[in-house]
Amino acid sequence: MAEIKGYDMPDELFYHEEHSWAKVEGVKVTVGMSDLFQKEAGDIVFVDLPEEEDEVSQGETCGKIQSRKWIGKLVAPVSGEITEINEEMEEDTSLINTDPYGEGWILVIEAEDEDELQAELKNLIHGDAVQGFVEQEIAKAEEEKAKDE
Amino acid sequence: MSEQWRLFKNLRRSVSTAEGLAVDDTLPQSVARNNSPPILHLYTFIPSVIVGKYQDIGAALRLERCRARGVEFNRRSTGGGTVIMGPEIVALGLGINVDHPRLKKGVGGVFQSLSLVLLRALDKIGIQGYFQPKNDLEVNGRKIAGLSAASEADSCLLFHTSLLVDFDVALMTDIMNTPVIKLEDKGYNCFSQRMTTVRDELGRGVSVTEMIDVIQNSFEEEFSIRFKEDSPDEWEEKTIQGLIDERYTKDEWIFSHRHPRARMGVGQLKTKGGLLEIYLALSGASIESVLVTGDFFSTSEDLHRIENALKWTSARRESIENNIASVWHDNMIYGIDVPTLTKAILLAKENQVRL
Repeated sequence: MAEIKGYDMPDELFYHEEHSWAKVEGVKVTVGMSDLFQKEAGDIVFVDLPEEEDEVSQGETCGKIQSRKWIGKLVAPVSGEITEINEEMEEDTSLINTDPYGEGWILVIEAEDEDELQAELKNLIHGDAVQGFVEQEIAKAEEEKAKDE
Repeated sequence: MSEQWRLFKNLRRSVSTAEGLAVDDTLPQSVARNNSPPILHLYTFIPSVIVGKYQDIGAALRLERCRARGVEFNRRSTGGGTVIMGPEIVALGLGINVDHPRLKKGVGGVFQSLSLVLLRALDKIGIQGYFQPKNDLEVNGRKIAGLSAASEADSCLLFHTSLLVDFDVALMTDIMNTPVIKLEDKGYNCFSQRMTTVRDELGRGVSVTEMIDVIQNSFEEEFSIRFKEDSPDEWEEKTIQGLIDERYTKDEWIFSHRHPRARMGVGQLKTKGGLLEIYLALSGASIESVLVTGDFFSTSEDLHRIENALKWTSARRESIENNIASVWHDNMIYGIDVPTLTKAILLAKENQVRL
């Protein structure tokens, strides 16, 4: 587990700039929301999920997530067919807060083609770039705090 | 030259819920896809009640009372709870890109930026309000406006709020199906202790038109912009009509079943500080609202602060405890501490029944 400035950002995952993560096993991609997202958003109270067998494209909004009175987007990090939805979410959306990379997974996308998937993964944030992404997000927040002072 | 935003100002008539909500939904879409600058929509609704996107409308409202009183009901696309609307309540929709340079960043930042505008507006008419994190504006411990938002097309968002110029408490208690209704039996009106209006605060009549003008000016000052009064263009008209036809007049949207089960529970706990009685409304595993009552010593301002900290949060023990602790101060409720209050809330959770 890589910790960057207090946020858990596991090395093996790929991150979309809209804060979803992708765990890749062959053409099967498990998707959830990052620790950075859940800490910024606070308690997740509702999740509006797509249906199994829905087709999604990389970058497409495929669900909605409500924290407090803010409804944010769940953006598909890769393209493919949704083959599994975490049914536990219907009863307890706080799993995204308590275990964002484990029990708080949201859905599984199956990519049609491994080459296409590999090409799409290049559009996501991964490896050394994650540090820069987190720092950039934190810098934005700190800039605001500085303005307030 | 300062930046120009568009203003849809409707002072001619109060609109139906379908029309008002469809115009609001169009705002962020137009900013994202129709090359529009930010758009502010200031208007009033006909007597109506609007639930948040994920609420169970049948559990939140007494629909038969709404129908009998001719009060329209609908579901909005932003989060949060039930709001009563009408000709004496200013409705506000704003479509803007989250990356707009004058908007603070992040979820909290955006709410804060827009709160500053409304606080400026209240200040202009002589009311000292303040931002009650994370979503409300208050005056002396009483709520005067609530804010909600949804991220929409691309990085554009729709921001919703309403400002109470005047308010019919009797109507609210008649049509809402919340834990507070139970308290009415005891002759105890929670609303009047937890809410206030512009007219109540000022002790004089303020017209909705005056309030709308003040909000418009406050936006111009706070964001250093100027407005161009405008009306929807052809693309927007088409989008609005589409949303009216396909969403806001359709039972599939209004009675959407894609929401968690609504439940309610009451918890009573005898403590050193007195009897604690908790009324809890739950949506799935989340707290929709909570009322802290009993014969202890506290102030309505402090109780409201605690209730507010718990609204729309997880009903897990550690979350309840953390959220109370985030606003807690010594003797907030005399003789009662955070673990005791948490215990009483968990008792209400245990006693939950389907609404």
